[in-house]
Amino acid sequence: MDAFTLINPPSLWDNWLAFWSFEDMNVLWVLIGSILLGMSASVIGGFAFLRRRSLIGDALAHAALPGVMMAFLLFQTRDPLIMFLGAVTSSFIGFFLIDWLPKNTKIKADAALAITLSFFFALGLMLLSFIQGLEVSNKSGLDKILFGQAAAMTEEDIRLLAVVTIFILVTVSLFFQKFRLIAFNQTYAKTIGLAVNRYELLLALLIVMSVVVGLQLVGVVLMAAVLLTPIAAARYWSSQLSHILIIAASLGALSAIISTQISYLAPAMPTGPWMVVSLSMLFIISLIFAPKKGLLKRYLEHKALRQKVSEENILRTLYKLVERQSFQHHHFNQADILGLRSVPADCLQNTLKLLCKKSLITSDPKGFKLTEKGLEKAIQLTRRHRLWENYLNEQADLTPDQVHQQAERIEHILTDEQEAQLRLELTNSLLDPHGNPIPDASNHVSPQLKKVQEPLT
Amino acid sequence: MNKTRLTKIIVLLILSFSLLLSSFNATAQLNVMTTTGMIADLTQNIGGEHIKATALMGSGVDPHLYKATQGDLRRLTRSDIILYNGLHLEGKMQDIFKKMARKMAVFPISSQIPKEHLIQHNIHADPHIWFDVALWQQAGQRVLAILKEQDPQHQDDYEQNAKHYFAQLESLHQWIISEIQTIPESRRILITAHDAFGYFGRAYDIKVMGLQGVSTASEFGLQDIKHLKDIIVKNQVRAVFVESSVSPRFIQALVKGVEAEGTPLSIGGELYSDAMGKSNSPTGNYIGMVKFNVRTIVDALK
Amino acid sequence: MTHKSSPLENSPLSVKYLSMRYHHKPVLTDVSFEIPEGKTIAIVGPNGAGKSTLLKGIMGLEPIMEGQVNFFGEPLANQRLATAYVPQREEIDWDFPINVLDVVLMGRHGHLKLWQRPSQIDHEIAEQALKDLQMWDFKDRQISELSGGQQQRVFLARALAQKANLYLMDEPFAGVDVATEKTIIELFKDLKSKGKTIICVHHDLNTVGEYFDWIIFINARLVAAGPVEEVLTKENLSKTYGGRLSLLNDLTEKMYRTQLNKAHDTD
Repeated sequence: MDAFTLINPPSLWDNWLAFWSFEDMNVLWVLIGSILLGMSASVIGGFAFLRRRSLIGDALAHAALPGVMMAFLLFQTRDPLIMFLGAVTSSFIGFFLIDWLPKNTKIKADAALAITLSFFFALGLMLLSFIQGLEVSNKSGLDKILFGQAAAMTEEDIRLLAVVTIFILVTVSLFFQKFRLIAFNQTYAKTIGLAVNRYELLLALLIVMSVVVGLQLVGVVLMAAVLLTPIAAARYWSSQLSHILIIAASLGALSAIISTQISYLAPAMPTGPWMVVSLSMLFIISLIFAPKKGLLKRYLEHKALRQKVSEENILRTLYKLVERQSFQHHHFNQADILGLRSVPADCLQNTLKLLCKKSLITSDPKGFKLTEKGLEKAIQLTRRHRLWENYLNEQADLTPDQVHQQAERIEHILTDEQEAQLRLELTNSLLDPHGNPIPDASNHVSPQLKKVQEPLT
Repeated sequence: MNKTRLTKIIVLLILSFSLLLSSFNATAQLNVMTTTGMIADLTQNIGGEHIKATALMGSGVDPHLYKATQGDLRRLTRSDIILYNGLHLEGKMQDIFKKMARKMAVFPISSQIPKEHLIQHNIHADPHIWFDVALWQQAGQRVLAILKEQDPQHQDDYEQNAKHYFAQLESLHQWIISEIQTIPESRRILITAHDAFGYFGRAYDIKVMGLQGVSTASEFGLQDIKHLKDIIVKNQVRAVFVESSVSPRFIQALVKGVEAEGTPLSIGGELYSDAMGKSNSPTGNYIGMVKFNVRTIVDALK
Repeated sequence: MTHKSSPLENSPLSVKYLSMRYHHKPVLTDVSFEIPEGKTIAIVGPNGAGKSTLLKGIMGLEPIMEGQVNFFGEPLANQRLATAYVPQREEIDWDFPINVLDVVLMGRHGHLKLWQRPSQIDHEIAEQALKDLQMWDFKDRQISELSGGQQQRVFLARALAQKANLYLMDEPFAGVDVATEKTIIELFKDLKSKGKTIICVHHDLNTVGEYFDWIIFINARLVAAGPVEEVLTKENLSKTYGGRLSLLNDLTEKMYRTQLNKAHDTD
């Protein structure tokens, strides 16, 4: 065979430059198409996600299959508009079935979804198989609808996609508040006289449209991922719905850019599946690195909290030691601390070092000693601990033995306001249930404490 | 009287017996199932009146992706001989045939073609052997041998039919060579939806290139399109071809892309690659299909 | 069935012969009452007595088998704006990404046309509602960050923003802190002084006499309805909480199953 290749195949870098020069029209079409889909699907998928009807998109995508096949059988054409109308019709029938079944039979909503999804998908595959056996022209490639074939995208497809995307985005921004209200609290929306059914129908229409135009790019099977992954990822980045939707749309567009590039830079790489893969990557990145809700942030917070707790525990132990010595003796070694509180030795050393660094304690050959700042903090902690013990004892009828464990935890998180409230609600804020004095809240140190301070100053 | 009655009875008996025999002969047609229409056509031409060859895959069906239904399996097991192409053309059915071969007469018709005559792609050989008519004739020899072995009674008829048909193939081969020669050499570039025309290119001196690999089951991405486009622009290719059994959308997208970038390019027509035309049309047999392909290619590229 | 003309011409809410069911199980049978204007009314009954169902039936959120509900002498459709509903807190996904002010502004959407967004006036109304419930400082908080009592106040503020004359609340006191409970009581007083009517599903018998002017006792049927001093009696309490009338339930269920009510000639 006289197979031939280019004498100087372009390098990866050349290809990358060529990609961004937008000279390759096929690439431009696929890029625009997948960006449009990424944006519209993630916005409309967001509402499905928030209404806890995530799988509706999946079901509707599968429900589109028999419609495409029927449209082909009836009209014997592959015109994008006819395919679109066929898919929309059958998706809508699927939607009504999903809606009708739980209302009129004993079938629950999730089962109705599963039944509809698999029934329509099976019907579609059956028709596909039937068409395969027919002697009609133009039938080849119908099965590409299962996984999509983005690279075959042309200007006409883009036009349809653009119309659908603009329609979706305009409708969502027009009715954003109404859609949000229904998604948040549907029964309430009914009571203020909103035509909930009409809005639901509109939402369903938007989902169906976005699913159907997505079939060519990512196919029946992967469509749900494009609808849901962006919103799931976007939720990690913001708490305001309008922002979340914008972020989701951006993530959708970003995944489109990534996947188109990969398809352009490496041979035999289909765009649609890569879109889903890159969306999942973006989701994982969001899950781990999101600034407020990410796993990394939570891990760091947890670590910081543990550090804070162990520091505060040592401070309070030192205070207790001072208290036991009737404020006469201020230097204690590690053994003294370990005598009151069981801490792993290395952990104790680390914490003591850190406390020294923060100049909450000082260390000299005689032992460790609270500084003025450290003492203040220790008094505050002890006060909160004992106030809470008192509160539990007084208001929750817990015995003095039970309250200590609880107070060990609460002392670290009580705020000034809560402390003030505690003080208001308590009848006794002088002695804790074990008979220990509760140090004063204000910075007036009681006469006994004065003695401790004198050598310090 | 008795004698005449006896002769009458004997005559009647003989008559009815011969009738029975002849009717037995009529039903004794060998039932041959093949995968593609090309194989069925080849087999029918060699087998003549003694066999009935039927193709599993109809017009416009892609054998690479074909999935057998239960009905297909039933038809296969009820037949006398099963012939398939082999070389992984029937990607999803190959395993079924291997299993069936233990109990039935199942043969890949490409098995006797010497390895050096095949085009190797990575690990697999290119299965589209019917596009080199000479190679197809070799496959025909194999079919002839199988029929003779399975039905030795009609050996001579098969030999006769094959001789006749191979002569037709021979003249077809010569005709293609001369037809392709009419295309100026610089324009002899055949770009199609998938790499089906490798043997055709080798045999008839035309460069070939497909958007997808040898099997349509392989995915293709934007780079594959770009690669082809670069070749089209560089070699000033004027026409590319869609295939009847592969989605035309890919080639359409390619053509629109090249046009939008300012290079004129047209679709030269639809070629029959992995499946023949509708059964009663001129392209419904092998010779007609090949002739149609060659005419389409020559018309578009000349 | 003959409908007597109601003695209270302009009752904020009159319910006549209301029956509701869940599949074939009767939940409420033949409930009728009329409430006076400018009062606080408690709907009281044991668990599963159909209190929330009654409220939902009144608001048209669940289908009614039989009966008629009128608001200020008219059907609900004509009096939507005069009626505000506060759903149970548990029915909501509190993880929903929305802040306090936006939730309260939802109360204004009944007054807005299809394409309209909340105006400056709507914002002022929402602000006032939040201030009335001491939640203005929380206006930018995410609802997921609120305590149970604060969530309840947001819901009340939303209802308040509707500027309705009749408020129907599903267990507003359930699971709230002391401060919120006090705020709600203050709100009730304030609303009453403006002539508004409040109906609450309530489950705390200890406070019902203190917080409300009127009580509707139900247990699958109406037990009693009237001013606290008249109906809060041992007899009514034991009737309400003394178990179901099982025969009534069984036979009503059978009636629904056989569709006897439809087979009967209307007389």
